[in-house]
Amino acid sequence: MSMDTQTRLAIVLISALLVSGCGDNSQVSNSTGSGPATSDNSAPATGESKGLIGYTTMSLTNPFFKVIGDSMTEEAAKHGYEVIVVSGDDDVNKQSNQIDDFIVKGVSAIVLTPCDPRSIGQAIKKANDKGIPVFTNDTGYDGDEGLVECHIATDNLQGGRLAGEAMVKLLGESGGTVLVVHKPDASSCLLRVQGFTELVDAHNAKDGSAKIEVVATLDGKGSREAGYAVTKDSIVSNPNLSAIFAINDPSALGARSALEEAGKQDQVTIIGFDGEKAGKEAILKGTILCDPIQFPDQMGKTTIEMILKYFDGDDVPKEILIPSKMYYKADAEKDPALQSG
Amino acid sequence: MNETRPKPQRWAAFANNYGMVLVLLILIAAFSVLTLERQSSTGADAGRVVARDIVNAHGSSSTVVVVAGLKPPDESFLREATDALEAAGVTVAATVGGRPADARRAIERVLQEGHSIDAIAATGDAARWSIYDRFESVGNSRCVSAAPTLWPTFAKSENILNVANQTAIYAIIAIGMTMVIITAGIDLSVGSLVALSAVAAAVFIRDAGDGTETGAGLMIVGCCVGMGICALGGVFNGVMITRLGIPPFITTLAMMLMARGLARRLSDELSIQALPASFTWIGGAATFGIPNPVFLMVVLYGVAHVVMSRTVFGRYAYAVGGNAEAARLSGVPVKRVIVVVYTLCGALAGLGGIVQSSKLGSGDPKLGLMFELDVIAAVVVGGTSLMGGEGRIFGTLIGAFIIAVIKNGMNLMKVGAPEQQIVLGAVVLLAVLVDTLKRRGTAH
Repeated sequence: MSMDTQTRLAIVLISALLVSGCGDNSQVSNSTGSGPATSDNSAPATGESKGLIGYTTMSLTNPFFKVIGDSMTEEAAKHGYEVIVVSGDDDVNKQSNQIDDFIVKGVSAIVLTPCDPRSIGQAIKKANDKGIPVFTNDTGYDGDEGLVECHIATDNLQGGRLAGEAMVKLLGESGGTVLVVHKPDASSCLLRVQGFTELVDAHNAKDGSAKIEVVATLDGKGSREAGYAVTKDSIVSNPNLSAIFAINDPSALGARSALEEAGKQDQVTIIGFDGEKAGKEAILKGTILCDPIQFPDQMGKTTIEMILKYFDGDDVPKEILIPSKMYYKADAEKDPALQSG
Repeated sequence: MNETRPKPQRWAAFANNYGMVLVLLILIAAFSVLTLERQSSTGADAGRVVARDIVNAHGSSSTVVVVAGLKPPDESFLREATDALEAAGVTVAATVGGRPADARRAIERVLQEGHSIDAIAATGDAARWSIYDRFESVGNSRCVSAAPTLWPTFAKSENILNVANQTAIYAIIAIGMTMVIITAGIDLSVGSLVALSAVAAAVFIRDAGDGTETGAGLMIVGCCVGMGICALGGVFNGVMITRLGIPPFITTLAMMLMARGLARRLSDELSIQALPASFTWIGGAATFGIPNPVFLMVVLYGVAHVVMSRTVFGRYAYAVGGNAEAARLSGVPVKRVIVVVYTLCGALAGLGGIVQSSKLGSGDPKLGLMFELDVIAAVVVGGTSLMGGEGRIFGTLIGAFIIAVIKNGMNLMKVGAPEQQIVLGAVVLLAVLVDTLKRRGTAH
């Protein structure tokens, strides 16, 4: 038993060391969090930090959400707020726990990009019950248990229309067959495809127009792998395919790999969506024709603006949609973000 | 090497447990000190302090607006502050508990009525709102709030309950995992079974019941269906291991894939929402202020402790893990014990899935991702040997809490996710190191 006592003692000491070790680190980076108590009875109404904003995003490995988080942190700092950014890692349970932690920390507001638009309701309700305002961005909350003050997102319907417009411009005179690489479980992607289809249908309805036919709509899961797989299958059954509309850049790039492997990259033109760095680079190289692009930095900034508006006592709109913009090779050549690479 | 534990050694085992409890207590103390922060003032006491300060500064002939947010203690702040101010003869022109926009409208109305506002009695949070500067005659400087209190965020009762509530699901599943590991096995399928149970129960309630109108009876049947399917999954694991000799690692890895696939198939890859509001009772509600999953956890640990320490089955389980061949020769039904242990593990994972889906109010095929790793970590940190034959049920509970406390403490201290993973990895390694050293110690 003596060995036991010794080793237990060791674990105690090492744990204590570990804990105090990371404590030091975080206190360096967190100078506004804790300070000495003021001894006077009434605190000044304006302090150095106006409060904390907790942001739990869907996944920080996707650069899109990283940009949203960074721009929120930057914009909030200008107005004296501090933002804590954490990632739900696509796990709604983790995200729900993070919201619990935010509540305990006494944040002034919670921002979230739901990992699952429907399962997050109870967590939002919990924040509501504690009187903490909840905002969402990019992906909305789909349900009625929880109350969201304001949702800030890209105007995906309008973005989809831009993609449809580009497709009509591309195939309007010759006609052709199109594959849609979809992600039907995301509400944002449903809107993109809806807008796209609207424009294509309107073109087809015109008398004497060369028809653009959507021959297949397949689930590319928004990922490179799945986008590659569905495109590969589709070009076997549709050898005369003329174009692809993919609902985001990863699946567009996956589609491109499949085309290159089949030697069909000159026959099939790709229109993507998002305008993340890899997508813009592909547009510059000409491997993707164009993207309706989103503005994650603006989304983050607008989110903070809405929170400030809320604390200013203004009535906040339920939804703010940020218009998307079409981005071609000519835009890529002028894009300062691509100059270094 | 390790036989069933004779009675005199129970005290030694207790001392062993006590060491882990000590680690937990030290962690709690450390995080309490490290998260000492200024807590925004609200509640009845803050209300009285603010009223007194205003009366001292502005006298009793002043006009005041009392402002608070929507936090639960804000109500008593409003009541106390208003009562104390009015008792001192101060005119309370408005009392608002709500959003900043509500307070703004109230102040607008008061000013329109021709009052001049001498002071705003506010909670700490409401004092930080930027509405007051909109009015030239008011301004933030007229805001009076009580000084923030210094209190460890970690040690707030709200947080302690959170930690217990968040751990409960892992801890419940870890009971089954402890039994499996005591028999020298492993079960990688628990995370997927969580999802399968959640989805199966939700599908049953949606399709066999009346969706959101389903009564309690059918809901319980639905939960039993979810758990039952997972128990069957456990039976399958046990049979594959004992009858066909497939190693537990492989069998349960296969089950992990199949159960996840089945959950996704059953749900069409979408979370299922058509559940009655009362479905959230077991995972989302609280009794006497304590979350229901915590009660469930405590009861299950009591039962499991008795089963493992006082029953024949418990002794068999230790014997099988210590030396299966010796156990078989001395008449222990080794195969049956193993099947039962995996069945229990599956059923408890199923229960975890029910609690989890109840907490979130939906059956989601993505639930339980990586749970197996967290659960195994809790068991290992709790002192159960991966070699089998050794371990205690309550050790696992302590292990689960050690991990939960470290995670929660680091979250509250804003330690990033990557650093957290490194620390947790180190903790698991340390725990196994202790196990190894102990083993070497007893070997001499």
